[in-house]
Amino acid sequence: MTEAEEVDFEIDPEDLEGGPVVAAPSDHLSLLVNDLHVTYRVFGAKKVGHGPGDKQGPLQKLLRRGARQPPVREVKAVRGITFAAKHGESIGIIGVNGSGKSTLLRAIAGLIPPAAGTVHVASSPSLLGVNAVLMKDLTGERNIMIGALALGLTTKEVEERYQEIVDFADLGEFVNLPMKAYSSGMGARLRFAISASAVPDILMIDEALATGDAAFRAKSKAKMDSVRESAGTVFLVSHSLGTIQNMCSRVLWVHEGKLVMDGDPEEVCGRYKQFVAESKEHAKAKAKG
Amino acid sequence: MTVGEEVRGEAPLVPPPLERTFDQAEVDSAARENGLEPIGVRPHLGAYLKDLWSRRSFIKVMAISKAYAENQNTYLGQLWTLFSPMMNAAVYVVIFGFILQVGRAGIENTIAFIVCGVFMFRFFERSVMAGAHSINKNLNLVRSVKFPRAVLPIAGVLSELAILGPAVVVMAVISYVSGFLPFAGKVTIDWYWLLTIPAIGLLWIFSTGCAFLMARWVAITPDLDNLIPHVMRVMMYASGVIFSIDRYLGQFSWGWIAQYQPVAVYLYLVRSCLLNEPAYPQSLFMWLLGIGWAIVFAVVGFLVFWRGEERYGRD
Repeated sequence: MTEAEEVDFEIDPEDLEGGPVVAAPSDHLSLLVNDLHVTYRVFGAKKVGHGPGDKQGPLQKLLRRGARQPPVREVKAVRGITFAAKHGESIGIIGVNGSGKSTLLRAIAGLIPPAAGTVHVASSPSLLGVNAVLMKDLTGERNIMIGALALGLTTKEVEERYQEIVDFADLGEFVNLPMKAYSSGMGARLRFAISASAVPDILMIDEALATGDAAFRAKSKAKMDSVRESAGTVFLVSHSLGTIQNMCSRVLWVHEGKLVMDGDPEEVCGRYKQFVAESKEHAKAKAKG
Repeated sequence: MTVGEEVRGEAPLVPPPLERTFDQAEVDSAARENGLEPIGVRPHLGAYLKDLWSRRSFIKVMAISKAYAENQNTYLGQLWTLFSPMMNAAVYVVIFGFILQVGRAGIENTIAFIVCGVFMFRFFERSVMAGAHSINKNLNLVRSVKFPRAVLPIAGVLSELAILGPAVVVMAVISYVSGFLPFAGKVTIDWYWLLTIPAIGLLWIFSTGCAFLMARWVAITPDLDNLIPHVMRVMMYASGVIFSIDRYLGQFSWGWIAQYQPVAVYLYLVRSCLLNEPAYPQSLFMWLLGIGWAIVFAVVGFLVFWRGEERYGRD
């Protein structure tokens, strides 16, 4: 059974022919990503172009259901990314929707196994995203217990930090209600508070700051700074270029699963802004026909 | 020429991708110098077991929370954990015990016999389901926090065990009371009622092993999830939940398979402890068989699950 499974995720050889081999930096590293590829399966995928406007007779539909469109499709979300991060750096990741930013972050955190390439880290990174709640049927209090224990804290540590987490998340009475009753901002704050409670060496934040209000943003910035000061590394995925420029010392621009720029925030964000402006023009031109 | 192609000519420019890779030998030496660990690689069995052991309070909290959340959305709440198996058993008692009478042949106390079988089998069935869904239903958790994934199937089955606890008391009471009915055999309270606890313990270990297997297979091939209810139905009839295997399947040459397969063995053990059936005496052979099955399934299940560790959460 094991042998057969591996076949699913094979990478075409032409994809692996990366570019020039460059020297790997070797001092004060906290993270080393080499030629990372991430592929995932999607069930029930439809052939591209079969939109609602694409009218077909029932017979045609039946005929089209041949072997040409497999029921399982592969999405190559990350296609060969290479970089190294040092202690004390805060790295912003930008890119348009669907460019593979979140997938990259998950792969670095060890949550999605790479299809090819390697990731080396100094310690278990802690990822927090706002898209998912932990367990929506359970109360905030239970979720704090489960989340913090999952991060590797002991029961005693969780009890000690419990009040701190509740205060940081600013939940008040809501901590005793099931999480499905929370607003999206509350959920995001709770996740941030839980993840930050473990003081990770590598903190990864996926759009968390976009949903919080101004007070929460200030608090989370302080938390990120404290992680960085204790020689940790912070990753931040955000669509807000202002946030990225404020908080990061380095920016990676990901486009269609590949790294297109890596460097100074001013420079990369400037070039990215130009690209976004051009895209808007382009969309307008397209709308006009 | 289509409209799409026309516009594509003036599409906004993205800088060309940085096509670069590090030399693998350099990566390895840099990783060694900085004390970096590779990620997405399956941990060694020893380290994995140690990590799992250190998460035991996580398993406990997760199991209890799950058991509690189960019936949270109903008015009667936790009472359903007792009502559901009782109603389930009642249906089988009426249909198979009284109308079709298949539960009577070779059995003195049909009610106690069927109630015991249904409660125990229900635990096994729900444990396997909990295992099967343990990765796919917890993707949120799997995709945001790194921990040994074996926590999930273990917690799933443990949560079923927590639900079973009060149900076993109800089961014992029903069995005892049913003994007073004029047409049913007496159920006496003996010292070996206490053996019910190790019997359920063995069933729990065995179920955890099955949950491990299901967790991996369903995580990789979600289609299998649709087959489980049917396999369970077959298992139910092949394990003598509602009738005596000896009486109905013993006549076939393959009848011994049904008799000594794990689920039937555990049903035998629980019944031999709790009931006074002459056809179900205490048997050392069955106990040894029960211990054997539990160890085999737990070890094999765990190894199979561990071998897939680095792949959970990919989809």
